[in-house]
Amino acid sequence: MSDIIACLENVSYQYPRSIEPVLSEINLSIQKGEFFGLIGPTGAGKTTFCCALNGIVPQFYGGRFFGKIEIAGLDTLEHPISVLAKHVGQVFEDPETQLIATSVENEIAFALENLKVPREEIIRRIPRVLEMVRLEGTEKKHPAELSGGQKQRLAIAAALAAQPDLLILDEPTSQLDPVGADEVFSTVSELNKELGMTILMCSHASEEMAEYATRIGLLSNGSLLSVGTPEEIYADIPLLINNNLRVPQVASTFYSIKQKNIPVSIPVRLEEGKKVLTELITKKTQLTTPDLKDELVHKEGQPLIQIKDLEHTYPDGTKALHGVSLDIHTGEYLLVIGQNGAGKSTLVKHFLNLLKPTSGTVVINGIDSKKLTVSALAANIGYIAQNPDNQIFNMTVWDEVSFALKNLKFSKQEIETRTEESLKSMGLYEYKDRHPLSLPKGDRARVVIAAILAMEPDTIIFDEPTTGQDFRGAHYILDISRKLHEMGKTVVVITHHLYLMPDYAERVIVMGKGTILLDAPIRQAYFDTEKLNSTYLTPPQAVLLSIKLSELTGEAYCLLTPAELASVFTTNGGAA
Amino acid sequence: MSMKFQTVERDSIFTRLDFRPKIYMMLVLTVVALIWESPVVQLALAFLILIACFFSGVKMKFIRTILLIMIPFYLLLLITHGFFNISQVQSLTGKTELTNLFSIPENWWLIGGLSFSLEGFWYGINTIFKTLTIVLVVPLVIFTTDLDNIIVGMVRARVPYKLAFIFSATLRFFPLLFSEIGNIIQAQRLRGLAMEKMNIIQRVSVYAKVAVPLILGAMVQSQQLEIVLQSKAFSGDPDRTYLHESILSRLDYAVLIFFTVFLIAAFVSWAVWGFGAFAGPTDHFLF
Repeated sequence: MSDIIACLENVSYQYPRSIEPVLSEINLSIQKGEFFGLIGPTGAGKTTFCCALNGIVPQFYGGRFFGKIEIAGLDTLEHPISVLAKHVGQVFEDPETQLIATSVENEIAFALENLKVPREEIIRRIPRVLEMVRLEGTEKKHPAELSGGQKQRLAIAAALAAQPDLLILDEPTSQLDPVGADEVFSTVSELNKELGMTILMCSHASEEMAEYATRIGLLSNGSLLSVGTPEEIYADIPLLINNNLRVPQVASTFYSIKQKNIPVSIPVRLEEGKKVLTELITKKTQLTTPDLKDELVHKEGQPLIQIKDLEHTYPDGTKALHGVSLDIHTGEYLLVIGQNGAGKSTLVKHFLNLLKPTSGTVVINGIDSKKLTVSALAANIGYIAQNPDNQIFNMTVWDEVSFALKNLKFSKQEIETRTEESLKSMGLYEYKDRHPLSLPKGDRARVVIAAILAMEPDTIIFDEPTTGQDFRGAHYILDISRKLHEMGKTVVVITHHLYLMPDYAERVIVMGKGTILLDAPIRQAYFDTEKLNSTYLTPPQAVLLSIKLSELTGEAYCLLTPAELASVFTTNGGAA
Repeated sequence: MSMKFQTVERDSIFTRLDFRPKIYMMLVLTVVALIWESPVVQLALAFLILIACFFSGVKMKFIRTILLIMIPFYLLLLITHGFFNISQVQSLTGKTELTNLFSIPENWWLIGGLSFSLEGFWYGINTIFKTLTIVLVVPLVIFTTDLDNIIVGMVRARVPYKLAFIFSATLRFFPLLFSEIGNIIQAQRLRGLAMEKMNIIQRVSVYAKVAVPLILGAMVQSQQLEIVLQSKAFSGDPDRTYLHESILSRLDYAVLIFFTVFLIAAFVSWAVWGFGAFAGPTDHFLF
């Protein structure tokens, strides 16, 4: 029994003033040394689950709690949070809000000081935990000087310093770029494998969870629907789809191949996927040439946005853009990718005069942007910035959406009609009198999009629209972008989520260190692994598998999605 | 969004000092600035503190902003003292007739016949530099101290831990608040709000409307902060250990002694010889 770190018996919980339980009838034990992955759509109760393990639920929030949770043998109802904090370390989603001290060493010391750990012991532990997360030598730095991935690793170090029995990480990578996410995953996996630290991690990053977790639990509507190995959970495609969860592309590919009556197992990790693929090819499985749609060319007439030799230096001296030149034509769907700090947001902010060129020119619709104001540009170029919550400033959803129309001096009648249309098309009309911030995260993003679209701009820029969204939320937003594109509008999307984009984008701009490394159609860009790697991006698993397929067959397969990859395999005439 | 509080980057005597002698310095300088009324001495003191700010690396941009914000207040001080502070200045200078610099014509409505005195002007100058000293000494002390050391210093000075923590959390909140205001206004401009075409009143009303989302955002953030603090075993209990011991060094003691001597000297010389008094020995050449 002593090997059980966390034990939940019939746990149900209801927040004060809420009608539905957030957690219901949960039974689970987490063993010492496990890497337990908790997955589930937004609103499934994952964060509440995490907070229940260190007593914040229900001790801080109140509400109705049933059942029993024991952490390292301590009942979470009978011991104060400050005592439980010694046994449970927690890392939160947002790297900004969870760092509270003004230097790395103070950040690590904070919990220890509260736990009354003697000063000499604190001094001993600081370098030790910094080494564990590979942040040696940063003791005196201010947390604001660290990158996103480093900040999350510092948060992990601070949690580790109390030498907890269980380390909980709630969506620790969703706000990070691929480099940062990779840093966090490999650090956590090392802690688990080499030091035997017990981990509980919630994450939407299914490829990584399949790779690192030893056990997965699927939470849906507060119930633990299924618990099993990553192979059991991630190969159960209908279960994942029914719960709006993303399937790792490897699993999705081989599931589609299996649907064609080709006998094949469903691997959930990339390396195993490559092995299964090799077996399929050596067994001489029949292949066909895929039917791929042609890329559209839009390079006619005057460009809508014309950037020439654009340079930008921030007031602190950081040079963010080095002579960027780019033409964007009407009706294009453009994807801008690159690591954090590559200059993506800096570039698009010039389209709206939010930033002014240090040198070079930005011409919008034939007019130098210097002659235009932000508000005038905004009516033609809708910019949907990263965090929707920073863009909500009205008391009702209706006011939020009509705000722009009032500024643009439309008649009262016109404002009413346009607002109503915009709300209806976004499925928000029933919430028109609600406060925007009272809606769930996915809906808040839609309120902001509706507010921008009410101006009927010709170009729409989505800056990291899928960050912090679950699979369904991300696709909902991208489906809107496709609809707009089909209406003839120009769409620009900045994202780190390469795997989401093949069904949407046409042209890809790869940025690195303030320059454009590559400007090519998506099918070409996703296969330039060298350029992508140079800006710390990894192509989606489907692309990596089709590169493997090309190697195995000696023919070039440029396939972007699991569906395209599966379409290469011909249906086995019924004989399984 | 940067959590970084404005701290100076330059290493100087001020960054090496403990928070306690610095707070003591701030108190002494404030008291002395309040005692003195001589424009000459006040100017010298304010100038010294300005130099100290510059030397310790407080951003000139910040000081310039402070000065700009204070200008209307300073004009008001000059006007009130020049025109209206007659009896106090008369008793301080011992003159029954003040030197008239200029008068407003008799036929002007309401303010006709008022005269602006030279002595009142100098008294106004004194109050201007007095407030400047009191204002400038704050960034000199706060910006040269790391927030965590402010807490430790306050706790060592027997301020309750909870209060010290709230104080530092508030200081940390300000830069966040400002970046939040910037975000909200940018979001409004992206929805066609033409700030550049607005007059001052309309602009003020835009800023006023930012308050509601700002407070809501701050509430959300403070709740998140509370959860983070709880998970880090924070309970506000003063019975905790500290990584930084905050032991006073020789330099700290030297500063404490220096400002004690300075306070006594300033008080005695003011009381006995009138040093720093208005129209006293230091102001002889002004009148």
